[in-house]
Amino acid sequence: MTIPTIRLRLAVPAALVCAGALFLGCDDSIQTTEVLPPLDAASLDADAGNWRMIVLAAPAQIAVAAPTPVTSPAYVAELATIRAAQASLTDAQRASIAKWSGGGVLRWNQVMRELVARYNLPPAPIADGSYPVPDAENPFGDPNFPFANPAYAARAYSYVSAAQADALKSAWYWKYQYNRPSPAKIDATVAALVPVSTLPSYPSEDAVLSGVSAELLKLLFPAAVEEITRLAAEERSAALWSGKATSSDVAAGLALGKAVAASFVARAGADGMRTAGGSAVLWKSLADAATARGEIAWVSQETPARPPMLANFGQVRTWMLTPAQLVAERPAPPPSTSSAQMLLEVAEVKSVVNGLTRDQLAVAHRWNDGAGTYTPPGHWNDIAAEHVRDARMSEVRAARAFALLNMAMHDAAVACWETKFYYFNPRPSQMDPSIRTPIGLPNFPAYSSGHSTFSAAAATVLSYLFPASSTEFSALRDEAAISRLYGGIHYRSDIERGKEHGARIGEYTVRFAEQDLAR
Amino acid sequence: MRLRIPSAQRLLLLALIPASLQAQAPDDGLLMPARTLSVGVSYGTEQWDEYWEGTLKRRNENIGTLTTRSATVMGHYGVTDRVTVTGALPYVWTRSSQGTLQGMRGLQDIAVAIKYRLLATPIADRGTLSALLVGQAGAPASDYTPDFLPLSIGLATRHASARFTTHFQSKGDWFVDGSAARTWRNTVSLDRPAYFTNGQLFLTNEVAMPGMFDWTVSTGFRKKRVFVPISLASQRTLGGGDIRRQDMPFVSNRMDFTKASAAVMYGLTVPTDLALQLGVSRTLRGRNVGQATAITLGVLHTFRFRAAR
Repeated sequence: MTIPTIRLRLAVPAALVCAGALFLGCDDSIQTTEVLPPLDAASLDADAGNWRMIVLAAPAQIAVAAPTPVTSPAYVAELATIRAAQASLTDAQRASIAKWSGGGVLRWNQVMRELVARYNLPPAPIADGSYPVPDAENPFGDPNFPFANPAYAARAYSYVSAAQADALKSAWYWKYQYNRPSPAKIDATVAALVPVSTLPSYPSEDAVLSGVSAELLKLLFPAAVEEITRLAAEERSAALWSGKATSSDVAAGLALGKAVAASFVARAGADGMRTAGGSAVLWKSLADAATARGEIAWVSQETPARPPMLANFGQVRTWMLTPAQLVAERPAPPPSTSSAQMLLEVAEVKSVVNGLTRDQLAVAHRWNDGAGTYTPPGHWNDIAAEHVRDARMSEVRAARAFALLNMAMHDAAVACWETKFYYFNPRPSQMDPSIRTPIGLPNFPAYSSGHSTFSAAAATVLSYLFPASSTEFSALRDEAAISRLYGGIHYRSDIERGKEHGARIGEYTVRFAEQDLAR
Repeated sequence: MRLRIPSAQRLLLLALIPASLQAQAPDDGLLMPARTLSVGVSYGTEQWDEYWEGTLKRRNENIGTLTTRSATVMGHYGVTDRVTVTGALPYVWTRSSQGTLQGMRGLQDIAVAIKYRLLATPIADRGTLSALLVGQAGAPASDYTPDFLPLSIGLATRHASARFTTHFQSKGDWFVDGSAARTWRNTVSLDRPAYFTNGQLFLTNEVAMPGMFDWTVSTGFRKKRVFVPISLASQRTLGGGDIRRQDMPFVSNRMDFTKASAAVMYGLTVPTDLALQLGVSRTLRGRNVGQATAITLGVLHTFRFRAAR
């Protein structure tokens, strides 16, 4: 072959390669997470030490000893340590500073969502057709502990967020008791590698967050202990390297965070979660009660039949409601399974799923938030995170926002589960087995819709926090709710009553917020 | 006279999604004669009741048997004796025999390949060895979602492949092919704002799709009206996570498999230029795919355009 012939022959493949590259474009990389710009808070919220506490009795309940004077040799040595560290920062250390610079509350919220998604898998059946129960004492086994389903997740998000809020309010109280400036403000030779404000740095808010978050997360996701511990240590180191805090600021913050966490861990140990799974006796009694009322009782449509998800979660302690209020808020009964209304609602579900449009399918998928995801409460944290970020909230105000949101969603979860297991109402595909669902079928009773209840509670609280965006939140709430009809897993009355119920539950948290002195 | 009967079978598709059987696969060593067009349709059905959840082989009673049917229109055109362009477009239906999940249906991906014979050289008196370069590309032909596996009809990614194929045709009736390709895949968009895969939460609706590598070896014989290839094909995904315990499959999972297949093609005498094909395949090993058995039936008609030479 001559050289020109070879050139000609290579021209065709070369043209193919070019065409392939043009066809694919350059679009092969993705942005994997939310962008969190360095936090430069709109306000210091200097009065946050007076805000109403959630579990702690008072901001000073946990004492923080006075710091050494900034003129003391010990403090001067701490400054020298920071200078030395800053003089030889590695790329990895700079990456850690950048990672935590967007705000610890937002970053821990992302971490929580990831942990929920990681542990949100139902146990696989074993050979005899039964399902092993995740065991907190053996979290690394198969199944892992926990099964972070929506109810578990709602509670988890609320404990971490509420504990962060109380811990930071305490920290703010002590910060303004002692008024020790941050090292970058005291010593011009200490660089401020992130925006450093005039917020007093003793105790360090980053260290408080690391301590309180890690202690709660280790309780809730014990198999992730290594990752949680590493993240918490990284957050403290970043505070030091960036010129925000000295080692004594960090040590005092860590101790305070862990001490506040202990109060929440104690509450979590006695809130009814241990028995939320129920028992075979309970499951049968719920079905028998529905049958005795003349209703068709819910049955699992999984094979092998799976026990209902957290049948006793409706008895778990709420944040804002008394047990009597919880029962009083329970929605009126669903249409009887033998009523004409029920037949109409079943027919509507069937008609919707059989004629589903692509847009409706997209809505069903957007809000599916099923197994392996961060769950509906996580979805609402995802939505809230952008608003918290854009409002440039101080750490303590951001923690308050997530605490309010997540306490409302926990209460919504408890209230919804109490309703579901009180009525024990069948899913549409149990009423009409010809109904096939375009999303996974949740393994618990239908009435009322969890998504609708969560979303209405969340939209109510977020509209209080961000009134300018209330139209957006209402639209998201409605879309989340109707997605369950498109998914073929809920009747319209589940959705309507769920939304009303969730809004009422959310109002309890709004009333708390209106009186918590945060302005 | 070469290639009165177009070759059959085996497009390398992911085994959790429908494979459709086509004439003139991109990974065989055959070309159409110049100015010859064959068009055809095929119907395929593929089933599995066991799949690999990561490396764990299991059944799932909430799926039962997963059946994927496809109807494909396809065409192959010999631009010159050394360049053949092929195309295929399947319509796909899925269903599960148990559980409550709804099946899906729709136009899947349009696939185009350009096969170019780089060289053909006689080997002593034994036969002819040829080498081919093949460029392949595919794109979703409808707005289906890949986010409901195993019931989604495909992976909804634009993709392009570069393939190298060697083909030895003996003076007798038998042949041996070897082929390998690297595939690049574009990102995929989901309808949801976040997903968890490969140990990480991604707060985006965009999914990065790992590339793939595949190889095929095949042999068989080809007489005037009968063509019988058997082959072994393997696909490796160059990244991606496993299906977690009791989780659903995900679009960017590491989907690997090795598959054996056989086909028979027969060219009718009346009417002439009509060929029938029957293909079968079986997945032997896999990871994050179903252990599928597939059968495909097809019919192709060939048109020869008399060219001014």
